[in-house]
Amino acid sequence: MIELQQITKLFFAGTPNEVKAIDNINFKAKRGHFVTIIGSNGAGKSTLLKAITGVVPVDSGSIKLEGTDVTNLPEHKRAREIGRIDQDPMASTAGEMTIEENLAMAYLRGQKRGLSCAVNRKRTERFAEVLKDLGLGLENRLEVPVGTLSGGQRQALALVMATIARPKLLLLDEHTAALDPKAAGLVMSITRRLVESHGLTTLMITHNMEQALKYGNRLIMMHRGKIILDISEEEKKKLSVPDLIAKFTASSGSAFNDDRVLLA
Amino acid sequence: MESVIISGLQQGLIYGFMALGVLLTFELLGFPDLSVEGTFPLGAAVTARAVVEGVDPLAAVFMGAVAGGIAGAATGIMHTKLKVNNILAGILTATAIYTVMLRTMGRPNTPLLAYDNVFGQVLGWFGQAESQASIILILAVIVMAARVLMGWFLSTDLGLAVRATGSNERMIRALGVSTDTTKMLALIISNFLVGLSGALACQAQGFADVGMGMGVLVAAIASVIIGQTLFGKSKLSIVLTGVILGSIVYRAVLATALRVGLPAEDFKMITAVLVLLALTLPNIALKGRVDSLMPGLLKGINGNNAKSGYRPESVADMGRQEVDR
Ligand SMILES: Nc1ncnc2c1ncn2[C@@H]1O[C@H](COP(=O)(O)OP(=O)(O)OP(=O)(O)O)[C@@H](O)[C@H]1O
Ligand SMILES: [Mg+2]
Repeated sequence: MIELQQITKLFFAGTPNEVKAIDNINFKAKRGHFVTIIGSNGAGKSTLLKAITGVVPVDSGSIKLEGTDVTNLPEHKRAREIGRIDQDPMASTAGEMTIEENLAMAYLRGQKRGLSCAVNRKRTERFAEVLKDLGLGLENRLEVPVGTLSGGQRQALALVMATIARPKLLLLDEHTAALDPKAAGLVMSITRRLVESHGLTTLMITHNMEQALKYGNRLIMMHRGKIILDISEEEKKKLSVPDLIAKFTASSGSAFNDDRVLLA
Repeated sequence: MESVIISGLQQGLIYGFMALGVLLTFELLGFPDLSVEGTFPLGAAVTARAVVEGVDPLAAVFMGAVAGGIAGAATGIMHTKLKVNNILAGILTATAIYTVMLRTMGRPNTPLLAYDNVFGQVLGWFGQAESQASIILILAVIVMAARVLMGWFLSTDLGLAVRATGSNERMIRALGVSTDTTKMLALIISNFLVGLSGALACQAQGFADVGMGMGVLVAAIASVIIGQTLFGKSKLSIVLTGVILGSIVYRAVLATALRVGLPAEDFKMITAVLVLLALTLPNIALKGRVDSLMPGLLKGINGNNAKSGYRPESVADMGRQEVDR
């Protein structure tokens, strides 16, 4: 469970360039919920996820993860419970290191790292097992540097890395946006499978309206640092993309401006 | 010919420790640590003072290496805690070390020929006389030990975190690792090796001098590049052994140059040109087809954005590193 209370984040506070990236947001997602997040460019979606991971410190408000207040914890101390993936396939994996080394690092998410051998038989067997479920044949390429994989393969591996240590929360920031439609579809189906099998609380930012409606059991829409729409699973099922756009226009009082939005 | 080989081996092995240290920071951590120009002679100065004070040579060498490690920690604290840009932090340490060396030795140069040295001491344990060959044998054994330890460390959970700090700092932080800690650790290990290198150099040549650090960094970088060019860099184990062999080749080339009568004052220019060629030729030939398997040296040259490595910044910006998140 993740709970945000009155979170506010300003950039360049007190200057003429002040930006209210997050404006007094209250938000709560129960354990196992899969929430999709949409909104126009600069709405504050990425900043919201960064506030939760601790990459960006908030100005005020509190962040609770499974009941524990993590507002003032540094990023690396929150990492145990939060898996995350960004849009850039380079960002969530270490390209110069092998698949098994990347997995070994993710395997110890948030734990103390000592001087035991990182890649051992027991671990590689486990890695091969989870990779096999992806159906990409990566289990046979454990010793290959991740930099030689395709973008889709890298994001699929990133998903395994984000979930292998069973964090409580999964944060996805447009993690399929840099992929071609086929790879994006593959990564989304892996996402759904992992989220469901682990019962992970998940927040997923997407620019793909269709995706936002198809996946997850709740949808929120952000605009200028605020959550302007919060749509439940039942309601979401009945919506089409044009309905969603119409709702946005009604709630925000402006047209949905997004250079990357995918309507179909 | 024989003298070239002997000189290449002896010098190459001594400087091989330093090359391993430089590989760790520059190449694996993506941290261009300039403190090594100071920690190398520091290791020598501390060892020399200790020997003069009557400390057992082996203990004195160890003290020299530890002094290097402490200086590395100073660079690390400046960079991680005080947020000083990585290059400037190294320069500050190297500058401050100059004073430390003068204070340690009480003068710029300490001759040691009148004292027992570490090689004679260790060979004495085995009842061997000190000779070129036996010194080389000892050096080879401890360099290989350092190489094996380093290979082992880099394959542990902690070692992976250090490498990932160079490969993808953002990612390893998101996995719960304090990259301040991994950087500190790598800087300490690296400068320990560099200090050890300086300590052994002073023992082999029979003196310590505050000017010993001049140009040792470019020599170490040359060793790393020669190692990777000759032996490849597909695997970390190859790279680790490669830098030591690279160091030997580099020193043998210098010895050859001396033999054929090249004036010693031209060496620095030759080294600089060689390093430049070794760095740029393969890239020009391959036109960026090959992305370096390691961050650090080549990335900076290629113009790829080195993640935590050298960023071309104006000198004015160098005082503070950007808070890159
Ligand atoms: N590090 C930063 N420094 C200054 N301003 C920032 C920073 N990060 C974000 N902002 C500003 O905060 C606002 C929200 O940005 P954010 O990246 O959260 O938007 P977003 O909803 O993710 O947009 P997009 O859909 O384009 O990814 C923007 O106006 C942006 O310019
Ligand atoms: Mg964004």
